[in-house]
Amino acid sequence: MASMEKRLHKELQALTKEPPRGVHVDQESISRNITEWLVHLDGAEGSLYNGEKFQLVFKFSQSYPFDSPQVMFVGNNIPVHPHVYSNGHICLSILTDDWSPALSVTSVCLSIVSMLSSCTEKKRPPDNAIYVKTCSKNPKKTRWYYHDDDV
Amino acid sequence: MASDTASGDKGSGPNESTETDNSMFECNICLDSARDAVVSMCGHLFCWQCLHQWLETRPNRQTCPVCKAGISKDKVVPIYGRGSTDQKDPREKLPPRPQGQRAEPEAQGGFPGFGFGDGGFHMSFGIGAFPFGIFASTFNFNDGRPGPPPAGSAQHQEEQVLSKFFLWVAVIFIIWLLLA
Repeated sequence: MASMEKRLHKELQALTKEPPRGVHVDQESISRNITEWLVHLDGAEGSLYNGEKFQLVFKFSQSYPFDSPQVMFVGNNIPVHPHVYSNGHICLSILTDDWSPALSVTSVCLSIVSMLSSCTEKKRPPDNAIYVKTCSKNPKKTRWYYHDDDV
Repeated sequence: MASDTASGDKGSGPNESTETDNSMFECNICLDSARDAVVSMCGHLFCWQCLHQWLETRPNRQTCPVCKAGISKDKVVPIYGRGSTDQKDPREKLPPRPQGQRAEPEAQGGFPGFGFGDGGFHMSFGIGAFPFGIFASTFNFNDGRPGPPPAGSAQHQEEQVLSKFFLWVAVIFIIWLLLA
């Protein structure tokens, strides 16, 4: 437990000191609870999401970083993207199967910005309606099937 | 509050160059300076404890957390610095945890049917006719019966007597069949 908090503090320190472009940590949310982070994300320039603002929530379990964090979009602007469901769940392999303890909040944020930026057409996943109705609250409980590596 | 604790780790005014120097030798998992350091064949540095925990997390797919190269407990190199007092191989400190042992259940309740479950292949015929009896006993693989008692015990001797007795019964039966 202590090692998990220690690592989160280290990540927070690095992210506060040198935040990547378009990524801002909500310090207030973290000062309340270190295991739940709110991160503000800006759509990258030159992408379909240029000028849009999104919010991500990271929830860390006690076994972080060996266990991946729970990551989803929240707030009133959920990006319209083929891998993002309208309830904020994200279909991204590094968030479950391909997670590695060498990844961090920063690298997950950058992956998500990059995933958004390579999108060529703003649309919801084809199974959005049925997924949102039937899924668990925790996106990690979904058995994701990763099939589309293009976007 | 959060930033207070974080800066307390390294002191309030860390020197820029020392920090980059130190980060070269930080564990890729806990982001702290590596303790009982080991390096993978792909060149990535970890605390032995951190790497061991990661390998235990995914025993079926052991990959380097940084570059996803194949990795294993036997293929990491311990690093001994001059200042370290303990020259023991860090891999010996935390012995690999033995795998849990899972025994088959002793009694199988009810009719097992044609289950192709974990216990291996089990086939049983419902007819008690002579030839099928042979087949049934021939095709019963791994049926979860307890093994024979150890040699020398009273039960062992008892079973030897029983087995001889039934051997004679079988011989007499076959002779009777041939004569009749």
